[in-house]
Amino acid sequence: MSGLRLAMPAGALFDGACELLAAAGVARVSEAVFARALMIEDNGTTLIKVRPTDIPVYVEMGAADCGIAGKDVLWESPRECYELVDLRFGSCRMVLAAPEGSPLARGDWSGSLRVATKYPESARRYFAGLSVTAEIIRLHGSIELAAITGMADAVFDITATGTTLRANRLVEVAEAGRSTARLVVNHAALKTKSDAVNALAAALRLAAASHSDEGAA
Amino acid sequence: MPVSGDVRGAPARGRAAGFSDWLPGAAARRRDLVDAFVATFESWGYSLVATPLVEPLDTVAAGVGTRGESRLFRFMDADGTMLALVGERTVSVARVVATQLQRAPLPLRLCYAGPVLRHTALLNGRRREALQAGCELVGAAGVAADAECIALAAEALVRGGVPGVQIDVGHADFIPAVLDSAGLDGESRRAVLDALRGRDLVAVEAALETTEVGEAERRLLLAFPTLRGGRDLLDTAALDLPHARPRAVLDQLARLWDLLEGHRVTGVAHLDLGAVRDWDYYTGPTFEVFSIDSGFPLATGGRYDGLLANFGPELPATGFVLHVDRCFDALERRSAAAPPSPARVAWRAGAQGEALHLASTLRQRGVAAICDLDPLEGEPDDDVAAVVAFSGGDLVSIAWTREQLA
Repeated sequence: MSGLRLAMPAGALFDGACELLAAAGVARVSEAVFARALMIEDNGTTLIKVRPTDIPVYVEMGAADCGIAGKDVLWESPRECYELVDLRFGSCRMVLAAPEGSPLARGDWSGSLRVATKYPESARRYFAGLSVTAEIIRLHGSIELAAITGMADAVFDITATGTTLRANRLVEVAEAGRSTARLVVNHAALKTKSDAVNALAAALRLAAASHSDEGAA
Repeated sequence: MPVSGDVRGAPARGRAAGFSDWLPGAAARRRDLVDAFVATFESWGYSLVATPLVEPLDTVAAGVGTRGESRLFRFMDADGTMLALVGERTVSVARVVATQLQRAPLPLRLCYAGPVLRHTALLNGRRREALQAGCELVGAAGVAADAECIALAAEALVRGGVPGVQIDVGHADFIPAVLDSAGLDGESRRAVLDALRGRDLVAVEAALETTEVGEAERRLLLAFPTLRGGRDLLDTAALDLPHARPRAVLDQLARLWDLLEGHRVTGVAHLDLGAVRDWDYYTGPTFEVFSIDSGFPLATGGRYDGLLANFGPELPATGFVLHVDRCFDALERRSAAAPPSPARVAWRAGAQGEALHLASTLRQRGVAAICDLDPLEGEPDDDVAAVVAFSGGDLVSIAWTREQLA
């Protein structure tokens, strides 16, 4: 119906994205459908499933007209797309956490910090904004381990519930941001397919609002 | 054929990372595209100027702003002057106008075509060198000049073969005027502008939530990605706005729209009051041209009355740039037409002179021709001295006897 190509994030946001698209009447898709094909069509919308960090790339380059991306991903790799709707799912926070009893955990920010993260750009901006000298160590997974082994003084990472941090005896020192899933749209698609894009944005906005109300109730 | 190479290898030998070669066929089609653009500019009375690839850093920085300055290729001249490779060419044209052409009668219509360089991060899908062709109309303050540039940009793209051209016309003062008339200042004004600049509607909503803004202005700002339409959009927007300055912008856009109707381009044009552009650089009407075949704007332009004062007297100016490589990508994606290949003149031993003459005659008639460097193999043939083969067209070969060639 819409004629748009929409990029869906694989991983933690995937189920939430499927639910929201169904609730908004945009498309009905599931993990099983994507197991058979990389690109599928439902209800006139073409859907592709890509890694979360690749969503802004596909959208900026116009390979997808729009996409669903976590704000944390948009912080890390700012791209020239429009961010139209807060989809109100996939909530998480970007935090700085340090081992219990460490100087940083006691509030001592002096000296130079070594910080492990999957989000080096966001971390760089965060510490630059605070005028704190930090040596950023880029890792690709199990960030907590960097602090436990002593390779880093602190970790800069997203957390949804804080369970993993607590299990690894890390305490939150500061919150750097709050993230939810967003609808991002290609610059040219917003202009050349504006009716379809605006209809999609309106439908998702409505569905997201009622969805999160249910969640609160 | 398998290609040798492995992940340890250096990038293509001898070529800097982030740059492209243009190979036979593509290079010529790209050149043809630029030629079509420049020919259109010249048919509207714009004179071609050529400016250097290198300018003093201060000069280049005036055109790209402080954010763009960090993305320039910079180096030092022998005397210590900081130089840069041009990141766009409007500023060079402005410099020429303010210096060598300062006595020329106004308005001046100038055009250019050439490469620009940006020190962008690698691996993000953007080329570091891009070909730009553009026009500058200097010394004309009215909307007639803006309309001319918009119509010319659209016509150049159409003549270049770009399909589905669509023009979006905005105004650099509309959003700032709305913010000012809403009484926003200081921190809250900056927050809203930053959010708009980031094209981030979610952040605009957040910034306005904590700010006292009139209802009309709030509605307009929250709708910024959708403030598009035809001439009636202006009346709808004006109804809501009590203040004079944004209304003056709308009046100006109405006059511009009427002129665009005269140019016969309103069929593919929209007014876009929420257009996000560089509000420090542009001072009046702005526009972007899109095609359904590209995710990027293919042409960008607008009025920049503040730039010329960097080099001399203040002069109103408007203009635009066509992003040739983006246009080229859009065209190549669609058309798979094989390039016309040149005719090949082959010859028997002893007839090389006649074959060279035949190739020369073909070229004079406008047919591209290659003459073989070595004779055809096989027994000499008294009947056939030379053969012309066209691989692209219907005619596959013609044979000539020695007598016919003479």
